[in-house]
Amino acid sequence: MNDLRPLSLLSLAAAAALFGTGCASGVKNPSGVPVTVMKPDEQGFVAGTGIESQDLVAVTDKMARSVLNTAEIKNFAGGPPRVALLPVNNETRFAINKDIFLTRIRVQLNSKANGQVRFLAREALADLEKERQMKREGSLNSTTNPNVQEFKGADFFLTGKLSGLTTKTKAGTSDYILYSFQLIDARSSDILWEDSAEVKKQGLEDAAYR
Amino acid sequence: MRRPWTTILVGLALALTGCAGLSPEKQAERNRQLDDYRAGLRALRGGDFVTARQRLDNATLTLGGLTVGDKTAKEARNYFKEESRKNFRGEPYERAMAFYYRGILYWMDGESDNARACFRSAAVQDMAPEIGVTEADWTLLDYLDGLVTVKLRGDGKDQLQRARKESRINPPPDYDAQANVLVFHECGTGPAKYATGEYGEQLRFRAGSAPGSLLQLAVNGQTNKFGPYDDLTYQATTRGGRVMDHVLAGKAVFKSSTDAFGDAAVISGAILAAGGQGSRGAADEVGFGLLAAGLISKVISAATTPAADTRAWDNLPNFLGFAALRLPPGSHSLQVQFQNQQGQPLTTRTLDFQVQTGRDTVLFVSDRNQ
Repeated sequence: MNDLRPLSLLSLAAAAALFGTGCASGVKNPSGVPVTVMKPDEQGFVAGTGIESQDLVAVTDKMARSVLNTAEIKNFAGGPPRVALLPVNNETRFAINKDIFLTRIRVQLNSKANGQVRFLAREALADLEKERQMKREGSLNSTTNPNVQEFKGADFFLTGKLSGLTTKTKAGTSDYILYSFQLIDARSSDILWEDSAEVKKQGLEDAAYR
Repeated sequence: MRRPWTTILVGLALALTGCAGLSPEKQAERNRQLDDYRAGLRALRGGDFVTARQRLDNATLTLGGLTVGDKTAKEARNYFKEESRKNFRGEPYERAMAFYYRGILYWMDGESDNARACFRSAAVQDMAPEIGVTEADWTLLDYLDGLVTVKLRGDGKDQLQRARKESRINPPPDYDAQANVLVFHECGTGPAKYATGEYGEQLRFRAGSAPGSLLQLAVNGQTNKFGPYDDLTYQATTRGGRVMDHVLAGKAVFKSSTDAFGDAAVISGAILAAGGQGSRGAADEVGFGLLAAGLISKVISAATTPAADTRAWDNLPNFLGFAALRLPPGSHSLQVQFQNQQGQPLTTRTLDFQVQTGRDTVLFVSDRNQ
């Protein structure tokens, strides 16, 4: 019996090792995953086939550059043209915060276009009217004559549309999204500028979820 | 030689069975999506739309990400780990319902295009090309997609045509682009999951029920009856299986084969060892070897877990319906009555609401509204 003891101990150790390693997969990233700072224009490790920050950045950068090259903007007579934003129409299968596209285009143009265009704060109009009314009534003082109408009308409207096409096959899910934006002449309804960007993504779910 | 074998067997049993369960905290983390589904719907029924939005956003955003690299999914495919270890996402009808409810909430908020996006995503959840399902077959999803499109001055003819083709309970009516009060209604108890097969490896659905599937709406001097358009039991039971079912079937075959081999080896080994009568001859050694191999095979078989995942979104309804009404702006009181097929009232309640100019008023009515 004595000559079997080392073998027994070895077997026990092997069994213990099996036990230990067999259960190791039950706890993943036990210490957590540290925060990873990523650039908004790079794909993160959490990804789907929908609209993501890198798409937003790429699309809005392209649109901001493109709209500034429009002759009607460059050669607009009588100071910088006034642009109002119209809601983006989402025709994709992805629910999104649609304002974020126009907001980023506006921010890009305001910060980099050196005043070539001016945007109208239409979303703040109700507050602005209230302020003006209080000035007119004398509840607030004013450095200018509040009775003069100074709210400006739009020369152009900037709007956009997100269209999508989804394909699902045995190979996975594919989503194509066309981001198109337009600058519309407020006086004539002419479309003065239009540009688009396309993104296509595809992937396949794990078999456990199919 | 018997002691080391015994130790190895005990160790093997420990190694394989020791991993079977997850801690309650870990399992709760993997059920988070299920909690969001249930809580989102409870909140929607209770009129707590802020919570409903938050919980359903969690759920739909998770569904928007692909599961590539999901280690819990890999575990679920492992022969020695249960399917229920994977992060819960639900079966296609459950995933579709998360998008459907989120769509209703978007419409309530005046974002009908985002609502349509949700209805379209819900339809995509229903497709399964691997098993030959290349199109969704929900009446309401296509119907609502088309209605939003018409309201946004688009052409919803294709969607209406598809919705009518898919309808099995009631054909949906023509679109009324001027309808400004939209009533989403639902009733009954949805399908339940259970496992069958020798090892519980086959996922099955018990039919849901809905005694009061007719909805009578009385408002502004008008009374109309509406039937449901979609049946969740049909959606759960007619899809035709999952890719995961093949994985579980493989696990079940492995479990039964290793068990049968174990039985044969144990019996043969015992006969051989008994025949050798402890003489330490070749028959004796082979007998013990077979016995040990048989026992190892039995342990492996016992540790194999082919059971299907029966976690379910268990507060879903069985029938879904929709009604579009035209009402003038102002305060209204809507009497809602769920009736059985004979027209006898089962549940009655009153909803007070405001109709605003220039936007749709969206109401959600369930026979389980709180």
